[in-house]
Amino acid sequence: MQNRIEQKMQELKMKNEKSFITYMTAGLPDMAGCKELIKAQERAGVDVLELGIPFSDPVADGPVIQEASYQSILCGTNLKKVFALMKEARAEGVTVPVVFMMYYNTALHFGLDKFVEECIASGVDGLIIPDLPMEEQDDIKEALKKDGAPILIQLVSPVSAERIPKILEGARGFVYCVSGMGVTGQSGNFHREILRYLSEVKAVSKVPVMMGFGIEQAKDVLPMRDVIDGAIVGSHFIRLLEANNYKPDAAADYCSLFKRELNEL
Amino acid sequence: MMKKNERYFGEFGGQFVSESLMNTLEELDKAYEESIRDQAFLEEYAYYMKQYVGRKTPLYYAENLSREYGTKTYLKREDLNHTGAHKINNVIGQILLAKRMGKKKVIAETGAGQHGVATATAAALFDMECTVYMGEEDMKRQELNVFRMEMLGAKVACVKSGSRTLKDATNEAIRTWAKTAEDTFYVIGSAVGPYPYPKMVKEFQSVISRESKEQILEAEGRLPDVVMACVGGGSNSIGMFADFIAEPSVRLIGVEAAGLGIASGKHASAMALGKPGTLHGMRSYLLQDDDGNIQVAYSISAGLDYPGVGPEHAYLKDSGRAEYVSITDGEAMDALLELCKLEGIIPAIESAHAIAYAKKQAKQMKEDEIMIICLSGRGDKDVHTVIDYLAQEGK
Repeated sequence: MQNRIEQKMQELKMKNEKSFITYMTAGLPDMAGCKELIKAQERAGVDVLELGIPFSDPVADGPVIQEASYQSILCGTNLKKVFALMKEARAEGVTVPVVFMMYYNTALHFGLDKFVEECIASGVDGLIIPDLPMEEQDDIKEALKKDGAPILIQLVSPVSAERIPKILEGARGFVYCVSGMGVTGQSGNFHREILRYLSEVKAVSKVPVMMGFGIEQAKDVLPMRDVIDGAIVGSHFIRLLEANNYKPDAAADYCSLFKRELNEL
Repeated sequence: MMKKNERYFGEFGGQFVSESLMNTLEELDKAYEESIRDQAFLEEYAYYMKQYVGRKTPLYYAENLSREYGTKTYLKREDLNHTGAHKINNVIGQILLAKRMGKKKVIAETGAGQHGVATATAAALFDMECTVYMGEEDMKRQELNVFRMEMLGAKVACVKSGSRTLKDATNEAIRTWAKTAEDTFYVIGSAVGPYPYPKMVKEFQSVISRESKEQILEAEGRLPDVVMACVGGGSNSIGMFADFIAEPSVRLIGVEAAGLGIASGKHASAMALGKPGTLHGMRSYLLQDDDGNIQVAYSISAGLDYPGVGPEHAYLKDSGRAEYVSITDGEAMDALLELCKLEGIIPAIESAHAIAYAKKQAKQMKEDEIMIICLSGRGDKDVHTVIDYLAQEGK
């Protein structure tokens, strides 16, 4: 079976549409509520969904995701429960591509081989591991050689410079371009060289180029529309979920509006 | 799974940081490697070690302690350094490097406040803007050090996330660094963090063992039988071990904090109960729960309550070259008070852990055998903790 992310990227390319990707912390408001939010986003047209696996020391995240992660750990969220949630969602017909955004220690502690097997069994399509630069990816790439294993999504930053071609060698799914220096959730704080940097990535990337960090509305990426293939919203989406008591309808309204506006830019 | 390249000590170490820091680490490694081969840099470092820090520190033959313990006991007096602990050795080295790299701002994390004070001190000396990240809990426990840092012109940023201690102060420093690496140098205080930090901290702290070796040869005409130091992240211990690692006759013993006892779950013994994992840019032994979340370490000593340990220590343990043991709060406090009374030296509670184990170790040693203990810092900062402890114990 083709990887769901790659399949989705092909579909969007044929339709000449940009991708809209959301991030939310797994396990909030609780497991059942989280599953409803996944379904609502799928219905609203979200193209890829990132599920954040909470970790005690989320060094790549700003205050909003840190707090959500902390709350989720207090609710008892762990990998085992998120795998169970994924299995249920897939059994109930959810087909949207799902990416786990997680810190390396969570997978390492679970056991890399066992972790990949569970990803395959529960329909996880991709992994984003912000504390695993290309130099440290050998072990997980070895574990990801299994049939049907998720794709390791590559991240680039505004200061990656000469590292970009090397990072993109063999990149699959899409490339995640961090919009600024530092952590998630610093709204409107894109790097001063954002356009030049995204163009550099776009020029060498064989996979779609997504921009994330600090995006709230579709119009935020208007200046970059010609060099990106999609946008990722995390902290702002989490704040919106919190403000609306995790109501699936509120999530769906935001997502369908963003997706529409993104393609009208 | 075995990694064999210069970024690793066996299978420990590495660079588990975000992509945005990778070029920074490479630039740092390059600048560092050039510096330690540059005579002018080494001379400048040696100058400040001597004239500003007050090195070399004595290797003091503790006569009364030796009599009490029944073996020849020497104390490497890092407590006599300017700012009162070994931390300054590393800070001067890193700030000279920052200056050479053209950085105008430095940031640091601190637990007990000693590394923060040392960084604020060197930043004042070299006219750099300095921000120190400190957990809200630690700011309460070490209020005086907060004032000291502020007097020295540093800004102390209060960290209110997670456990509000050293672990979270380090997270916040890493986040800030990732944002500001283009003009800011991160001065890491312990032998932890992504490569090249553990290597760099070891180099700047190895002055401890370099001097000790020379001094013991002069005093005794032979190498010591045992060398001992306390281990939080492991900077004074790696410095104390460094020049003895290649001397197989010297036993190396690292002493971790057992807090209220290993069985109580309230401790900081990453070597005793930790398993390998990744945190703060490195793969090493870490205290973790069943889900791989990092646990909050506990020790009466704020400088030892770190849930991990430097990667080279993890390697020294696995390779069998060094042994790691642990000492409870109570044992450390008894040793602290004993050293006050026997030698007229008030040690830091951190260092008192090494003293406490030395007493146990001495029972297995002969009268003419030699033990060196790193007295990593002075205990003035801990007087409040000692008062509270004694009141609580009804002593």
